[in-house]
Order: sequence, then C-alpha cells, then structure tokens
Amino acid sequence: MKKLIAIVATVVFLPAAAMAETFDDAFDMNRAMHGKGYTFTWSGKQYSTDHLEEVEARVAATKENAEDLIAKAKAKNAEVANVGFEWKLTKGILKDAEAAMVSGDYRKALDLAAQAKYHARIGLEQHAYAENNWHLSVPQ
Amino acid sequence: MRKLTTSMCAAGLLALIVTTPATAMTTQEAVAEGKAVYMGKSRGNCISCHQINDPDANLAGNQGPPMVAMAQRFPDKRMLRAQVWDASKNNPITIMPPLGKHWILSEEEIDAVVEYIYQF
Amino acid sequence: MKIIKNITIGLSLLMSTQLVFSAQPGTTLASVNPEADRMALQQFFKKRFPDAELADYVNGIYAVDADSRTQWEDLESFPPYEFDVEEGERLFKTAFANGKGYADCFEKGGIGIRQNFPYWDKKAGTVKTLEQEINECRESNGEKPLKWGKGPIAQISAYMAWTSRDNVFDIKIPEGDEGALAAYLDGKKFFYTKRGQLNLSCANCHVQGSNVRIRADLASPSLGHTSHFPVFRSKWGELGTLHRRYKGCHKDSRSQPLGMQHETFRNLEYFQTYMSNGLVVNGPGSRK
Repeated sequence: MKKLIAIVATVVFLPAAAMAETFDDAFDMNRAMHGKGYTFTWSGKQYSTDHLEEVEARVAATKENAEDLIAKAKAKNAEVANVGFEWKLTKGILKDAEAAMVSGDYRKALDLAAQAKYHARIGLEQHAYAENNWHLSVPQ
Repeated sequence: MRKLTTSMCAAGLLALIVTTPATAMTTQEAVAEGKAVYMGKSRGNCISCHQINDPDANLAGNQGPPMVAMAQRFPDKRMLRAQVWDASKNNPITIMPPLGKHWILSEEEIDAVVEYIYQF
Repeated sequence: MKIIKNITIGLSLLMSTQLVFSAQPGTTLASVNPEADRMALQQFFKKRFPDAELADYVNGIYAVDADSRTQWEDLESFPPYEFDVEEGERLFKTAFANGKGYADCFEKGGIGIRQNFPYWDKKAGTVKTLEQEINECRESNGEKPLKWGKGPIAQISAYMAWTSRDNVFDIKIPEGDEGALAAYLDGKKFFYTKRGQLNLSCANCHVQGSNVRIRADLASPSLGHTSHFPVFRSKWGELGTLHRRYKGCHKDSRSQPLGMQHETFRNLEYFQTYMSNGLVVNGPGSRK
C-alpha cells in the first residue's frame, strides 16, 4: 500500500517537477497579465515584458534604422512563408511601413516594421508548435 | 481686477479639464473604448462568440461562454486579462484567437475590453 | 533505492501513457489509419448529434439544424444552380476546335463518375481532382485552361456532379502505396492544424464548433463536406468550386491563403472526401 502511494505520488509529481516554468512561459504570463513595460523576476533576475521587436524599434528614428528593421521584418516573413504559415496582414503592414519611411515618418515605419517582424516570428513559433501538437483535436 | 482673477481661474480650470484625458483614460472612457473593441468586426469581434447583456449587442454568437459574473469568475482582473491575451494557454485547442499574443489587438485595446466586460 | 525504483516505475508509467496517447491519433505514416479515422469522425458526430441520420450529413448544417433546414428546403424547391447545370451541360457537350470533347477525356464519357474524385494518380505521384482533369482535358486538346474558382469550370463540374447524384463516394487509398497514404496524412494534418493570426484550424469550427453560432452563422459539420460541391452560395450570389471555398476559409484564419488546386488543398480534398466515403454525391448544392 505504501509502495502504491509512493508510485502514485511519483506519477503525480513528476510532470509538475518536469514542467518548471521556462523563461518563455514566465514572459508570456507576465505580458498577458500586465501588458508591456512591466518588470518581472525570473530565476533571480529582472526582465521587461517588452517584445524583442518593441526593443528593436526603440532606436533613433532615422531612415537607416527604419530601412534596417523593415529588411529584417521582410526576411522573417519570407522565413515563415517558406513553412506555409505566413499571416494575412503582414505584407500589408510592411507596405505601410515602407510608405511611412518614404514620407519621412521614421518612427511610424519602425513601429510597423516591429509589428510585422513580431507577426512573422510568432507565425514560426505557431508552426513549430503545430508540428508536435496538431493531433490534439483529432477525434479518437 | 476681480474679473481678471475669475477668468484666470476659469482658464486654469479649463486647462485642467482639457489636459486630464491626455494623461490617462478614465474608467468611463476605457469602458466605451472597450465596448467598441468588443463589437467591432475588424477589432476584437468578441460578439461573434460571446453573449453579453448589453442592449447594443445584437445577434451575439455562442461559441464561447457568455460574459456573466466576470468579477466572481475572475477575482483577479489580471487573470481575465491573461485569458483574453492568450486563451490557448489554458486550452490548446480553443477556438478563441490569442488576441494579445498574436497582436490582433494592441495592449491598450486589451486593457479597455477587460474594463468593459468586467462590468458584467 | 526504493525511491529510485519508484521513480523508475513512475517514469515508465508516464512514458507509456504518452506513447499510447501519441500513437492513437495517427500522426505518422506508420500509425495513420484512414478507415479508423473515418469511423472515429462518424462516431464523434453520432455522439454530438444523436438525432441526425448519417446519410443526411451530405446536407451540411441542414442535417443538424431544423430551423435553417426549412429555409433551405424552400430555396431548393427552385434551385438557384439550375441554370448553371444547364449551362454546364451545354459547355460539356460543345466540341473543342479539334472536334473532340470532354466526354473523350473521361471514363464512361464523363457521366456518373463524380464519386471517384479526387483520386490518387500513382503515375503522376499526386492527387487529381475533377476540376484539374477538366483543365487537363482542355489543354491536351489545344484549349486554354479555365480559371479555377467560378464560371465555366464550376458549371461543367456541376453538370458532372448532377449526372452522378446518389452515387456513393468511393475514394481509395491503394494498399501499400506510401505516396497515397502520405497525401492523405498531409490533408488530415492541414485540417487539424491551427494556423493564421486567428490561430484557427478547420476542425475548430467544423468539428468542435459545428452547429454553434459564430454571430448569426452556424458552422457546418465536416462530415459530408465535399459531397455537394460545387455550390451556389448566397453569400457569393453565384456558383463556386470547393477550392474557392477552401481558399476563403484559409484566408478567414488570417493566413496568406494557398492557391486553388495547390497540392495541399488537393490533399485536403482527398482526406475530406475519404471521410465521406459511403455517403452519396448530391452536388451541386445551395448554401447560405
């Protein structure tokens, strides 16, 4: 009986132990609860809930910087298109970013490029997740 | 002289009123913005799946649970925000789009829609 | 020592449950079992809509929602696709410049064969759809191909379906043909995969969400989905092909959609039509 309890205990607690919160989980949960610009602690260190792309856009609003981020966003979107997971609005956002750059609104161009790059990056994550989990809704 | 003082005061008051909304949205304004997000087809379009006891909500769908007893169901408002941000975290096959994680809504729009539904 | 042993037992228990779990949904060439999938999907809908007859699933949402069925039956008493079937027949029987016609390209002169499409073409190593073969027929006779979504191709397809009404779908996945099985699996995977900015799979609406309202619309059950195409859709105000609908649905998930007759869409049609084996052809249909 004691042994059985021990086995049950191991079975119950093992998954919990194996699922210690990863940085990505902690980031998502804090962003989800608090939005951007929030500071949280993970593994004893402090981090911000800002997306990588929001940080990338926080540079001087110059033509060069805008061009650079638009190019990065385009490359990321090409990557996600290659695995068949390109999102519908991303190309349009990139077009708007380019139009803003041409009209000299480099701040707007940077922000839009950041959003497009984020969409492409999350599309890649979505693809990677789907590869392992698409079966979850298959009727058994 | 008194007249001048009065008008100066009035101007000061006016300036105060005008500048307040620019610094932070009042709850009332957030609720109004949240309602627009809830109903807007190209915004949150929450109404397509969630019934809500608002006289302006016509032909709401029922793919998701109705917006009732929100404060009881989510004593911590931030947990409700998290659910809107990414419902697939709790249920990987949910039909609900991850409105925050997939940047379908801005963080400000999510704050607003949470304010709106939290009244119900 | 005892603890280690327990952990080992626990671990193996954990692993074995995971193994059993991942083996069932048939996600690999080694484990996929189309016939088991078909039975499981039928069982799913039987449980979800106990009152619906299996054979009635060719009628889509009208098989499970009595209210919209009445409206639909009114619509069908003067079918909006009638003109298209007539026009399709005329086009079908009009000879090409070289004197040949569609009847020369298909078995049985193209009459009563809809239930065999799509099929696995071993030689070409790909799934072939009816619309694809209509265009191949044209091109091999020196005619220009038709556009995939609507118009003449949908009308010809509608006429061919019309001549096949009540024939039973019999989609084959040839035994031991790994290419065919891989095409089926690819279609199945596409159907169940969440995608696009809205993170939606076909299954989200048409399995889990079937007969549940999205605003004022009811999502149709996936069983029998392909039986009634091409379809005269009120929303389009005209006749359209299955792949036009696929592209629209794909876009609705806020994905950059695939082109009509893309290999993956053909594989999706192969999977979906296999799921409908045993049901009858009732195209063309009319839908909201």
